[in-house]
Amino acid sequence: MAKTYDYLFKLLLIGDSGVGKTCVLFRFSEDAFNTTFISTIGIDFKIRTIDLDGKKIKLQIWDTAGQERFRTITTAYYRGAMGIMLVYDITNEKSFENIKNWIRNIEENASSDVEKMLLGNKCELEEKRQVSKERGEQLAVEYGIKFIETSAKASIRVEEAFFTLARDIKAKMEKKLVSHVYNDCF
Amino acid sequence: MEESAEESMDLCCQDGVLLTSAPAAYMNYINTVGTLFIVEYLNSNRTRCIEWKPNDVTIDSEMQDQEWAMVNTVERRTRTFSETCSRSKYLKVNMIEVKSFRVSRNKQKLAFMDGKGESLCNFLFQHSNCDLLLATLKGILRTAPSRRDKHLHIILDDLQNPETQQLNKSFAELNLFQDPSDYVWGFVRNFHNKPYETAMEAFAKITDIVYRGPEHRIMDDEVHDILNRSLEAIENSTTTHTHDEYEVIAHVPKLPDRKDYPRGRPLSADQWKGLKDPEGRVEDVESVKLMIFRGGISPEIRKEVWKYLLDYYIWDNTNTQRQNLIKQRHDEYNVMKLQWRSMTHIQEDNFSDYRERKSLIEKDVKRTDRTIDYFEGDQNPNVLVLYDILMTYVMYNFDLGYVQGMSDLLSPILYLLDNEVDAFWCFVGFMNKVSSNFDMDQAGMKEQLQHLNMLLAFVEPELANYLKKHESGNMFFCFRWLLVWFKREFNMEDIMRLWEVLWTGLPCQNFHLLICIAILETEKEILMENNYGFCEILKHINDLSGNIDVATILSKAEGMYHQIIEADHLTDSVRLIIGLPILGNTVMIDSKEASPDISELASSSQGADGEEVCYERAISNSFL
Repeated sequence: MAKTYDYLFKLLLIGDSGVGKTCVLFRFSEDAFNTTFISTIGIDFKIRTIDLDGKKIKLQIWDTAGQERFRTITTAYYRGAMGIMLVYDITNEKSFENIKNWIRNIEENASSDVEKMLLGNKCELEEKRQVSKERGEQLAVEYGIKFIETSAKASIRVEEAFFTLARDIKAKMEKKLVSHVYNDCF
Repeated sequence: MEESAEESMDLCCQDGVLLTSAPAAYMNYINTVGTLFIVEYLNSNRTRCIEWKPNDVTIDSEMQDQEWAMVNTVERRTRTFSETCSRSKYLKVNMIEVKSFRVSRNKQKLAFMDGKGESLCNFLFQHSNCDLLLATLKGILRTAPSRRDKHLHIILDDLQNPETQQLNKSFAELNLFQDPSDYVWGFVRNFHNKPYETAMEAFAKITDIVYRGPEHRIMDDEVHDILNRSLEAIENSTTTHTHDEYEVIAHVPKLPDRKDYPRGRPLSADQWKGLKDPEGRVEDVESVKLMIFRGGISPEIRKEVWKYLLDYYIWDNTNTQRQNLIKQRHDEYNVMKLQWRSMTHIQEDNFSDYRERKSLIEKDVKRTDRTIDYFEGDQNPNVLVLYDILMTYVMYNFDLGYVQGMSDLLSPILYLLDNEVDAFWCFVGFMNKVSSNFDMDQAGMKEQLQHLNMLLAFVEPELANYLKKHESGNMFFCFRWLLVWFKREFNMEDIMRLWEVLWTGLPCQNFHLLICIAILETEKEILMENNYGFCEILKHINDLSGNIDVATILSKAEGMYHQIIEADHLTDSVRLIIGLPILGNTVMIDSKEASPDISELASSSQGADGEEVCYERAISNSFL
């Protein structure tokens, strides 16, 4: 049967409780924002297929519970991930500080070459901002990853964030493939 | 071709049928008009096939040979097929392959699917519809429309197909030692394709032979010992079942038949009044609990009875004693509330554990049941009460503090009682029952998932086995059910009914695990027929929310309970879970065997292996 996609990428959203992981995902998968929030218990995923340079890419995006206590369960889902969105809330200093803990968590549980990206969410709440954009950028540079400020509510750059991550994964994959072919030939 | 002249009978035939999708081997015929047949071969197996032949084509022998090669590439499971049919029609699919079919576009489109949801072949009826064909299919197969897709018809069994019967029979009677060559061939081929399953099946067969058929077999004592030892390891493993290819009749005994336990009427206000003595004591607590277990509580007295069930009120207190207790609890509550209310900014700044708990509660009360009237809207005072109770609970039990999920447990209590202090003490009672769900190391949750898996293996071995083979033996997909006692799966009215029944502690310990199994059993067909994998299982279970009937599930779970306790082979490990005294004379389930090890998921093929497969598949599909 005809396949409906060329690649399947598994992505993961992680970050402190309440930074807006589920909302970012909802914005990306349904292009909507729900004002009646509900905390995520356990784990769930959503699917969206995107077009990237003529390829159909099926993104399977996993949403996790943010609280520290549930990490023994959620980290079990890290290993298959090809891309991870690290999300913090620009109006919450603590969620930003915790990014380094989340990165450590990834290093311990995810595969070493997983593509990572930093998201500063809720950027529509400029008047409540606690984390400057510069600090976000700086942290991203420190870890050698990309950074975008998003707003799930106002629909700002969420699309761009996922496309960027998917493009980077695809590029990495194709590069690997080329080197495989090269090794096979010589 | 050896049986080219094999006799057959067309059960149905329809022309003007366009082939729209088929395995790659038939690519040349896609979008060609032809005639569709259902054919029964008059061989001993009475094989039935779906066949399609393009208009005006003559077939040469070379073509036929190609067709043979093609047919065999369609599916691995064509062993029986290749023995039986050969006829000059182009596309041929054995009905055994077909697990479901989908009818759409005013019955003009018909798609046949295998057990994995992949399409085998699709047809478009250009001049008419597929009624005739459907009528024929329904005459020879037992089908049912899928619950999730009304256009999809699932083939429930092909038992009517004599070939399947024959096949099952022949495998059940398989004699390993008399004519080993066939078996060994099959084994080697299967082992190459599916090493793990094949090995397990082979073990299961050997098990059978050791158990049942020693009379005409002489076996080395040593071999016997080895087999017996390996048997212990799979002592509690279950019926092995692989894609309907054949079924190994395992030695696992069956549960007694399930009896009907219709739900009773809720405990009424009159009954409740009659159960109290003149001083207000409730004397026959067990009877009260039994009535609640059987039918729940009438809404008008629920508010009062919950306080007993949640150990706020004491059953044998007189009215006067109760008044004193209430007063005392009010005072205690206010003291604890004042403790956090009087905390200064500086104190808070120097108390990070407290700050962390507070911030989590702030986030969660804002997103707890905000769609129901009671908590709806900005500045809703009840949201603030929810906050105050949870903050006070942090002072009551600082070590446990606040964990996500607790607000879900409190919300229905506050909604019903509509009183801060009462709700607090009832919440305390509920938390005392489920606090291990919120352990720092999640040990309580892990243990429950493991117990759930063990119970499932006892009650529904086939499903337990299926889940294990589909990377879901750890039961993680039930995490949400267990953590908040199904709160996210039901509406407010239903969750109140379910909880009050569960709070009685009847009919046994861990009855909530039987609720899980009752739901899983209801979904078993869908999960297995669609051959859902790890992701689909999780999605399906998550999506059940709002679609479960509480009364049905309760009576089913009660029926299961009676099946379990009446089972002759009830093991000590199951007895322990449901709180029956252990006998000490049954084999314990090997904990590794049944344990949903937390690391299982990470190390299973869903992890790195699965990803590599995904990745490599993606590469090969795109580039190679």
